Amino acid sequence: MNQPKISVDLILAKMAEDVEKSQKRILKSKEVLLGPLDTKIASTPHEIVYEEDRVKLKHYFPLAETRVKTPLLMVYALINRETMLDLQPGKSVVENLLKEGIDLYMIDWGYPTRKDRYQGIDDHVNGYLANIVDFVRHRHETPKINLMGICMGGSFCIMYSALHPEKVKNLITTVSPSNFDTDKGLLNIWAKAIDADLIADTHGNMPGDMLNMCFLLLNPARLMIDKYVGYFENVDDRMFVENFIRMEKWIFDSPDVPGEVMREFINDCYKKNLLIQSKMELRGKRVDLQNITMPVLNIYGRFDHLVPPEMCELLTSRVGSKDTEDMCIETGHIGIYVSGKCQKELAPKIARWLKERDGVERKDFAARPAKAEPKKETGPKSRPSPKRTQKVVTAGR
Amino acid sequence: MDHDDKEKGSPDWFAAWMKSAADLWLSAAKTRPASASNVSEGSQPSSASYHGKLEEGWQALLKTWQTSSSALSSPQILELILKGSNALPESAMRMARTTWDGYFQLYQIWLKGVGKLGEEAKAYSFEGLEADTFKGWAEFYEKEIQPFLKAPPLGLTRFNQERANEAIDKFNQFQVAMAEFLHLLGLPVEKSLRVIQEKIEEQAKEGKLSENFKDYYNMWIKILEGYYMTLFKSPEYIRVLGRTVNVTEEYKAARDKVLADMLQFLPVAMNRDVDELYKEFYELKKTVKELAKKFEKLESLNAREASHESA
Repeated sequence: MNQPKISVDLILAKMAEDVEKSQKRILKSKEVLLGPLDTKIASTPHEIVYEEDRVKLKHYFPLAETRVKTPLLMVYALINRETMLDLQPGKSVVENLLKEGIDLYMIDWGYPTRKDRYQGIDDHVNGYLANIVDFVRHRHETPKINLMGICMGGSFCIMYSALHPEKVKNLITTVSPSNFDTDKGLLNIWAKAIDADLIADTHGNMPGDMLNMCFLLLNPARLMIDKYVGYFENVDDRMFVENFIRMEKWIFDSPDVPGEVMREFINDCYKKNLLIQSKMELRGKRVDLQNITMPVLNIYGRFDHLVPPEMCELLTSRVGSKDTEDMCIETGHIGIYVSGKCQKELAPKIARWLKERDGVERKDFAARPAKAEPKKETGPKSRPSPKRTQKVVTAGR
Repeated sequence: MDHDDKEKGSPDWFAAWMKSAADLWLSAAKTRPASASNVSEGSQPSSASYHGKLEEGWQALLKTWQTSSSALSSPQILELILKGSNALPESAMRMARTTWDGYFQLYQIWLKGVGKLGEEAKAYSFEGLEADTFKGWAEFYEKEIQPFLKAPPLGLTRFNQERANEAIDKFNQFQVAMAEFLHLLGLPVEKSLRVIQEKIEEQAKEGKLSENFKDYYNMWIKILEGYYMTLFKSPEYIRVLGRTVNVTEEYKAARDKVLADMLQFLPVAMNRDVDELYKEFYELKKTVKELAKKFEKLESLNAREASHESA
């Protein structure tokens, strides 16, 4: 029998060294974990300017002189919370956009309860989102605003822009699924195997914990084992622990998803793939992507395992707009917003893109009370968009 | 004493037992009037009449017992009863045999499944692995147990029984599906540990062992991740996942129905009541919002017209 060519003594010595290090780390971790920790998230100053049922609209206080006149409305997904875009000072998409001189609004969808179980996609797109867009338009006395959607929120923005193109000046989608006819990404495969009707009928709303379990199962080796091994290896590092806890706070802060939204999203999008085919209908109206004639910036992550590039990249070829740009960042679904490298890249890119398209809207937009819709917009449209289609690949984490 | 002797002798001991039992209860009954009258002396008239009725009932019951016991003591009837009891062991044996056959079938399938554990696992393949064990149990359950739960209940509480049986049935199905699901989730761990052992052996032979434990951990976590990725895309996993989710939902729905049956006697609103209200509330709110929007439009139109006129 062959003998191992490495000394057992060496292995034992290394193990002893590791044990010693672990003991020291555990002792120091006591100071860190029991001492004061700054784990607050979503701390960028803002005010709530609009409320409807459980939905709130945040308006952030400017951090720099306004350089993009048209306000930007960010629409997050109904899964998890918008706090991910503002995890901590210095690592916040919100903060970075404000520093770029963008007037920023963000929808907080709140926590749906059982009474919200009947609210479908239409109630969110033609209801809450439409009302909020109108509110911002009237607040700024402008016929159009900029719209930026994140993940499922991006899908909502695509639907809204196709149904109300006259109210959207520029559309930005980030990691937003529009094409569901792909076997890339486990969510895609799994969503097709489950009975959404049964879940919606039984639970009312899709429980947030069930969703979390589903996300953890996407990669249990990393998300349930390796992540915590990493945590214990750095448990004596205060900054690491603070960042880790912030992320944990965000990950497990999962509101339930209204049952009807979940039912429609799985059946109409995941199973029937209606959105990209312009066959989806909301309140009897077809969501025709050809109606999206405003400039579109489509951002997605190359290593995104939740919304893989295949689910995003078709959009720009299906919309009616001639001014489209795809931007593929070398990162994952969350990395786009939280990784240090992408932080430096994402906000400046968005600000630059918006500034280039921030034409002056007509001045005679009638000032009227909030929530009221203008009868019609007859004034001059924004400057004609340059006809260009780009594909950009950038490096990230 | 052979079997026939036992049979011949039985009527005597049975008749004797019946007689002694009847005597015991009759003597007990004789003591009751005194105690009952003692109680009724210091009690209310209604209490006395209550005890009188109780007494009458007790006497009637004893007479029935005496009559039936004397009737049962007759040799012809006793013979008939004992004949029936002789047939009991045969039917009991038959029942035991059927149950044993069922378990034996399951055991055989399980053995086959266990036998596969020793077989060399194909790298990154999860199809058909030990699934027969769960399939066997599911088949056994469907054939031998489920029909009892699906048997039509009778009487006033038939719907309650039906819902209770359904909840038990769904719970059993949920347990099987969940066991299979958890088993599948455990497979990558088992396989990755086997692979890492092999790799360590190889490295040892080549003299490339690392003294750093973290290297082995990193190697293992990478292998484990790979196995999970393969498992999660496999048709077997997708089938089991779909079934587990469906059965879990069905179990929850069935359980909720049983809980609703229990709660209906309490003055509390149940989900179905509240859901009805929510639905109405949702529709009303939607209508009101639409009307409010239309009203606002009309108002602004009127205001514009008025301003045009004044201009």
